[in-house]
Amino acid sequence: MAYVLQQLLSKSARLYPDKAAVWARGTSITYRELEERSNQLAHRLRKQGVQKGDRVGLFFPKCVESIISMLGVLKAGGVYVPLDPQAPADRVGYIIGNCGIRVLITNGEKRHALTPDTLATLEGCILTDETSNSDGIVAWTSLSEFPAAHAPEVNLIETDLAYILYTSGSTGRPKGVMLSHQNALTFVEWCAETFKVTSEDRLSNHAPLHFDLSVFDIYNTLEAGATVYLITEELALFPTSLANFIESQAITIWYSVPSALMLLLLHARMTAEKLKSVRIILFAGEVFPMKYLRQLAELSQESELYNLYGPTETNVCTYYKVERERLASLEKLPIGIACANTEAFAVATDGRLAAAGEPGELYVRGPAVTYGYWADAEKTRTMVVPNHFQHHFEEKMYRTGDIVTVGDDGNFYFQGRRDSMIKSRGYRIELGEIESALLSHPGVREAAVFAVPDEVIGNRIRAVVSAHVPDSLTALELQQYCSTRVPKYMIPEVIDLCDELPKTSTGKIDRVRLAQQAVAARQVPSTAGQQSLQSVS
Amino acid sequence: MIESAEVKDRIREYVLEEFAKTKGIMQITDQEVLTKNGIIDSMGIFRLVSFLEETFNVRIGDQEITHDNLESVDAIERLVIAKSKK
Repeated sequence: MAYVLQQLLSKSARLYPDKAAVWARGTSITYRELEERSNQLAHRLRKQGVQKGDRVGLFFPKCVESIISMLGVLKAGGVYVPLDPQAPADRVGYIIGNCGIRVLITNGEKRHALTPDTLATLEGCILTDETSNSDGIVAWTSLSEFPAAHAPEVNLIETDLAYILYTSGSTGRPKGVMLSHQNALTFVEWCAETFKVTSEDRLSNHAPLHFDLSVFDIYNTLEAGATVYLITEELALFPTSLANFIESQAITIWYSVPSALMLLLLHARMTAEKLKSVRIILFAGEVFPMKYLRQLAELSQESELYNLYGPTETNVCTYYKVERERLASLEKLPIGIACANTEAFAVATDGRLAAAGEPGELYVRGPAVTYGYWADAEKTRTMVVPNHFQHHFEEKMYRTGDIVTVGDDGNFYFQGRRDSMIKSRGYRIELGEIESALLSHPGVREAAVFAVPDEVIGNRIRAVVSAHVPDSLTALELQQYCSTRVPKYMIPEVIDLCDELPKTSTGKIDRVRLAQQAVAARQVPSTAGQQSLQSVS
Repeated sequence: MIESAEVKDRIREYVLEEFAKTKGIMQITDQEVLTKNGIIDSMGIFRLVSFLEETFNVRIGDQEITHDNLESVDAIERLVIAKSKK
């Protein structure tokens, strides 16, 4: 039984040395190559000074080297931190500083995009596209000088950290969710058992690597000796190409956010033929509208469909296997029941277990649950709390912030959030982080960011801003300012400027009213920042 | 018959105004790969196609919405010119 993630690779490298492990951008590597190159990288990282528990950043677009890097960092005893290759330099620099990354695996272009301040904090960069070493730069090709047959000796146990995934933070900065080997393996072992992944399987990897959906794609591939097909950002944008890709690579297990599947349904002329190799379709990260799920089920008669649910802090914690016979009558898709080795329960506002049908916040306990947030003890204390149902010893549980009910069928049903976190294209977005970005602009007096529901992508983001000096700001200027602080998917599509934001009777900004007005106006934001919100100003 | 230079100018202006500038990118070259740095996202692709269809009076099929056809201002111009000749 594996107790650290890299053992999954070592086992498959022994059993299937010549089988393709990872495919990306037209090239692939075998299990033997993945094992040997990650060993070499691990030795190089040790030479660089990486010690057990040290964080190593990965900052480059998805490719075969991404997977080598993850495994190499783990084998060196380190903790890898996948950084969004499209995030602005300011945000990447914040994360590098926040978790104390001193060694970064990147490429020439991405390294160039870092600020001088960030570069100054790094002791070394390993460049995937470089062929000669220089001061502070290690060429990927130079890794071949290091031992390939075995990894460095490092004493790791399952409760050691494996990776940190940064998600949007409500106070204006992203927060790092710490995940241990045990956290990840609890999930991977449940998946292996539930989905019966075999060495014949061909898994897609649609999610970015800083997104927790990719944990299944990569580690369940390694666990089974299967092959994972990394779908690059460019390929993911074109539904017809993606549909052809699924067919030509004969993908057997697909996992993505529902909006990616909806784009395939709406724009790829999807046919049953194109999906004939797919035996399992998994989706997670946002609510799948029933209308589109029925269409998908119609096209994939032979596939099993699963709705997986869970925040990064627990990975997947509940699941629902779609019952085809119920699809026609089901109004809302359940998030299902707890995964093995995980307990999930709804807690009412007064702290007792919610009764059947009564809304409660979903709490999760078990070995899949995070320790908390890197270097943020305060946030950790509010989210990873003592289990007050357990009086005999200390135990923690995670508050998801999601409000759920338990239905007559025994399944959990998602009802909403207790805070201002939203989902858009499956990305978890704290509206407060965007508000903080806007408010940090010296010309902004007040800012409110709110979500307008969208059938395909979940939510669209809009903002209303008032300036210290009327008419001194433009929407475009504010969008550009946001682009230096938050990822592109968090930039408001529309920013309306007004003299003063609407307030509630207690003097708070009335976000509910703003959102209702935006929905009522039914404006499809075609030209960003051009509309005016007359009802407000 | 639309002039090639005019087509390219209008495409460049649209991409710049609609996608690039709101993301803090103030200029783009005609060869720049628009899909690479998140200039255009998955929904943006379909807005771009609608714009091309309306502006240049061409019909672009789902199977033509590919990376090769839409990766840069140059590529989009080639697509529009080829379609408008049909």
